[in-house]
Amino acid sequence: MSARGQAEKFFALIEAGKVDEILGLMTPDATVSLVPLNRHGPMAADGASYLRELSRSFPDLLVRVRRLFVTGDNTAVAEITIDGTQADAFLAVANQEKHVDLDQAWMLMVTPDDRISAVTAYWDQNQLYRRLGVKRLDKVTITAG
Amino acid sequence: MTTGAFRVGTGTVPREDGAVATVREFFAAYRAHDVEGMVDLCADDAGFRYVPFEVWGRQRVLYGEGKVRTVGKVIWTALIDAFPDLANAVTSLRADSDGNVAAEVGIGGTQAKDFGTIACTGGHYQTPHLFLFHVTGDGLIDDIVAYWDNVGWRKQLGCLEVD
Repeated sequence: MSARGQAEKFFALIEAGKVDEILGLMTPDATVSLVPLNRHGPMAADGASYLRELSRSFPDLLVRVRRLFVTGDNTAVAEITIDGTQADAFLAVANQEKHVDLDQAWMLMVTPDDRISAVTAYWDQNQLYRRLGVKRLDKVTITAG
Repeated sequence: MTTGAFRVGTGTVPREDGAVATVREFFAAYRAHDVEGMVDLCADDAGFRYVPFEVWGRQRVLYGEGKVRTVGKVIWTALIDAFPDLANAVTSLRADSDGNVAAEVGIGGTQAKDFGTIACTGGHYQTPHLFLFHVTGDGLIDDIVAYWDNVGWRKQLGCLEVD
């Protein structure tokens, strides 16, 4: 399995909400940086927690890989779009059953033995809040109808 | 698409190294506020997409998407005008042999004028960005995509409205 293949599997598993299987693709000490959330730590804790919340809040989640390339240091760089309908509170935003589509960019560092050792994700949280009906950044739990 | 080596400066270098050199030059021009220099590093019809750039009006939404020579140049010029000390620091660069380059870049500045819906309060921001480039075999950028988080940006500048 190549870095490209591992990345494709990683995003398919996010779509399926299979977080334990995602962790199975990782090195034991794999790290994650969810840049817009300022969450940086172990994939097994911070990454898994985020992905479980994502899966619970968007049970119909679709993940579409729009661009994928592998750089010389074996990092898979992907542009994806996530798509789904909110069914539970997400990142403190109350559920209003809003539909979300959000473009993101992810970088997955892959070891020579095809384990993902570091994950970095970029997106615009403001776009996410807008789609979920949030009006103010200091009151994300209060949403517009 | 050319995938072999091409000439940069005085020697022949692998495609990855040439693409990275072009991207480094692009951010050096950006640090110098040389918008024409940034544009000159791009192909005539280079694509441009600043993913978080959405301006929501009553009638329509404007996206930061189009061509470098139209949309990109306007946005860069407006940013430098509103943040006269705008600076960047490239923190990582990765490339493949097809001209794709991923660059993590910290961008920051002090606001001196209103920018879009962000009224000027003189605040300073520093925000991590991810830029994805495609560089041609001739060493010209023909596509730029960028991601960053507007929540962090807006909060640092004292703007708490989502739009």
